[in-house]
Amino acid sequence: MPGSERYTKYEKARIIGARALQIAAGAPVLIKTDKIDPIDIAIEEFEKGVIPITVKREK
Amino acid sequence: MVSEEREKIVRDLISSGVERAIAKEIARDFRVTELSVGRDALSAAGIADEYAEDILCMLGIEVAGEVKPCDIEIQVNGTPLPEKLKSELKSKLRVVRRMLTRDKLNSILKRVIAEYEDARVDPREAVGVVAAQSIGEPGTQMTLRTFHYAGVGAIYITLGLPRIIEIVDARKKPSTPAMKVRLQPEYASDRHKAEILAMEIEETHIKDIGKVESSADDMCILLSLNNRELEKRRITKEEVEEKIKSLDMPVDIKEDKIKIYTKNNSYHELLRLEERISNMLVKGIEGIKRAIVRKGPEGEYMLYTEGSALKKVAKIEGVDFNRTTTNNIAEIAEVLGIEAARNAIIDEMMSTLEEQGLDVDARHVTLIADAMTVDGEVKQIGRHGLAGEKTSVLSRAAFEVTVDNLLEAAIHGEVDELKGVTENVIVGQPIRLGTGAVELVAKNYGELMR
Repeated sequence: MPGSERYTKYEKARIIGARALQIAAGAPVLIKTDKIDPIDIAIEEFEKGVIPITVKREK
Repeated sequence: MVSEEREKIVRDLISSGVERAIAKEIARDFRVTELSVGRDALSAAGIADEYAEDILCMLGIEVAGEVKPCDIEIQVNGTPLPEKLKSELKSKLRVVRRMLTRDKLNSILKRVIAEYEDARVDPREAVGVVAAQSIGEPGTQMTLRTFHYAGVGAIYITLGLPRIIEIVDARKKPSTPAMKVRLQPEYASDRHKAEILAMEIEETHIKDIGKVESSADDMCILLSLNNRELEKRRITKEEVEEKIKSLDMPVDIKEDKIKIYTKNNSYHELLRLEERISNMLVKGIEGIKRAIVRKGPEGEYMLYTEGSALKKVAKIEGVDFNRTTTNNIAEIAEVLGIEAARNAIIDEMMSTLEEQGLDVDARHVTLIADAMTVDGEVKQIGRHGLAGEKTSVLSRAAFEVTVDNLLEAAIHGEVDELKGVTENVIVGQPIRLGTGAVELVAKNYGELMR
């Protein structure tokens, strides 16, 4: 994540959780992977920084 | 200014025993920058090695590849670490300075910063709950007995769970108030002088220095003073006589006895007078029941007292007020202010926990002390303090006296903003903590396609 501060463990959990839900519901996966579990896929996507979700931070 | 002159200034400063830091300041004022001296030149001029290094560093003269004390100073000060860590790091780095290179220093700092960042709690962490648990669990292992020897002579000090409860409840007066009075150097090194001072502050009543009897025959009180006690407590007969006269009663002073007559010749008055005279304060500070001289942890003599009167002790000559404490937190808040009270809460709690052999991280205790003192006064944790003053109706009702709280709130038409944890649990919403506090948004599409 260039420019932005690192995500806290809570932010990471929410982002991965939300993304996993999307993938489980049939959203197109943004990376090439042989993983099957939507959570595992979401984690991999998160590590590569391709998840189209971020957090809103207070000031 | 000629460079020779500057050189002389620096040398003179150091040789006349000026502190390094001050010498630096002064030198900076003179803007000494292009002084042509090397380490050899300085040592030839009779300047000690440690100073020579400072001077070289101050003048910006580099000795290739070497890490100088000021490098450590500057580099460490530039880090985002807290002050305490900085000073620990500096002292440790100074020890191994000779083995360091610039690169090594940098990589050490990088590792330390990384470790520090990693150890910090994440935002949204429920630190309050963690603090409560971290103190609550060890609390179950504490003694329930009210008193305990504190190891200081025969002075009883409440310890263990009762003491913790006392602190958290912000009692106006602890059940066993006590002070640790430190003394000025000349008193602290001399046991005899310290003992005199102890006598000075320990309260002395008439009954301690003589016998008080009532004589029904001639309707008077007979006071016979004990000369040995008088001498021991350094009280003169005249002082006592003065005190007795201040009663404004007919007095008859004889060689070894003092007779005090009643005004109305009633038995009732006689008995009351006897009581009053027995308990008259001749010397000392009211409330200090005992003062014991002991060697403190620093090896100096100090006073441990039973009873507490911070304000009055401050005025006694020979007392080092800056290092004198009491276990009465309300008194500290009154005399020294709220920040001192916060520190007192932390110290008292930590030392009670430690005394019981419990290892609780100071930060949990700090959080509690902060919560108790944020509003500028020491508040208890409970109905009459923190929990009772919450803004949320539901939260207050959930804590204690549910019906009263709801009724009161209804009468005043209070509104609950549902901002806290308890309210949201009651209502059935996610709480605003941890993952519950994170708000997700879709990433900017343009940013994604970059």
